[in-house]
Amino acid sequence: MRISPDAVVFFQWGPISLNATILFTWCVMALMVLGSWLVTRRLSTETRLSRWQNLMEVLVTGIRDEIREISGQVPGRYLPFVGTLFLFIAVSNLLSIVPGYEPPTGSLSTTAALAGCVFVAVPLYGIAENGLSYFGQYIKPSVFMLPFNIMGELSRTLALAVRLFGNVMSGTMIVAILLGLAPLIFPVVMQALGLLTGMIQAYIFAILAMVYIAAATRAHRQEGQANQQAKKGDLSDG
Amino acid sequence: MLIDWFTVAAQVINFLVLVYLLKRFLYGPIIKAMDKREKRIAFRLEEGQKKKEEAEREVERYLKKNRDLDNRREALLSEIKGEADARRKELVSEARNEVEVIRTNWYEAIQREKDAFLQDLRQRAGKQTCAIARRILRDLANVDLEHHIIRVFIERLRNLGKEELGALNESILKSGRRINLRSAFEIPQEMARQIAEVLQNHGADPVDLQLEISSDVICGIELNVHGRKIAWSLEDYLETLEEALAEALEGKRIESTD
Repeated sequence: MRISPDAVVFFQWGPISLNATILFTWCVMALMVLGSWLVTRRLSTETRLSRWQNLMEVLVTGIRDEIREISGQVPGRYLPFVGTLFLFIAVSNLLSIVPGYEPPTGSLSTTAALAGCVFVAVPLYGIAENGLSYFGQYIKPSVFMLPFNIMGELSRTLALAVRLFGNVMSGTMIVAILLGLAPLIFPVVMQALGLLTGMIQAYIFAILAMVYIAAATRAHRQEGQANQQAKKGDLSDG
Repeated sequence: MLIDWFTVAAQVINFLVLVYLLKRFLYGPIIKAMDKREKRIAFRLEEGQKKKEEAEREVERYLKKNRDLDNRREALLSEIKGEADARRKELVSEARNEVEVIRTNWYEAIQREKDAFLQDLRQRAGKQTCAIARRILRDLANVDLEHHIIRVFIERLRNLGKEELGALNESILKSGRRINLRSAFEIPQEMARQIAEVLQNHGADPVDLQLEISSDVICGIELNVHGRKIAWSLEDYLETLEEALAEALEGKRIESTD
């Protein structure tokens, strides 16, 4: 039994292998970019707008609101990263109802890559926001906490990767197993459940990434300042 | 091994590419479009607000204009009314004056007519009375009325009081003994002589008696000497009659105007 789509290799050239994970990732990317291009090709700035544009606006606005709510900051800088995490995972998971499709998120390589991105992005955002003083939070409340803080960083990254992988993989596995046991009704139910789980996992992944980033960027701020910033962000961002 | 490190690296690159592409094709345009729309809506709202304010100002202006017009109309109306009142009073007063003038003229005309009528009546009545008296006297006494009148006159001359006589003599002397005797009829020589005698008896010197016939003296004799007058005629009676007639006419007129 195949656990990861990494195992399906279409093309191998030395260490470079074109496996199902990468292929389906490209498919998902192509779909998303093509869809975005089609919708944003003719954007209306009037009060009347197309349904697709409306859908996209709802999506983007929803993600922005969510980011603003969690971070208490202007969402502009975080939107591409967090939004893309959510959309990529969500689309990858939702497409699992297409026969023959294997969600790339069901590969630990993909989830590890995404978690790695988060792992790198968090300090980058922190440094961008607070400068090098960002690293100060690793030795708080005392220097002795440094190893534990680093371990915490690593473990939560690992948790991110494994949680997503486990959920998506298990969903796929359950459907595969059920197909063998009771091929008629149950797989459909489980598939539907899988869709729900996929959406929830996408949401959780994005939210956690945002929480980590928010924690890093707010590390040295007083609560009052943060609130002020949040209000300012609300005002300036509409 | 569940993790293929090449795949991990490829996925990281894929993800970063996707982030860029989505930023380029999704977030950027969508947010830009939403911002534009927001701005446009804000602009429209602002514009609407401006237009509303302008409209309100316009309404206020029109209302003020209307009020001004109303006020001016009121003022003009009251002015015109005042002028009309004044004009009306003037006209009424003019009409009253005219009526007054007409009435006065009318009264005067009536008065003139009345006077003329009375004059006429008096003359006619005098003549008629004379005629009647003459006929009555002629019928009754078979004597000429004129003789009677002359006799009455002579009698009156004879019976003058002392004071009157004195005054008469004085007048005769002042007039150079010229005495004018006017009568409505011809005085016979005999009668004239008797009158002269009576006067001579009073005055002792002969007098120059000048006889004159005048229709003014109605049925009587009038003796004029240096402004002094002694007369007997129907004039007195006729005047009484005239007064009585005038009173009667006046009474009738008052009755008719009432």
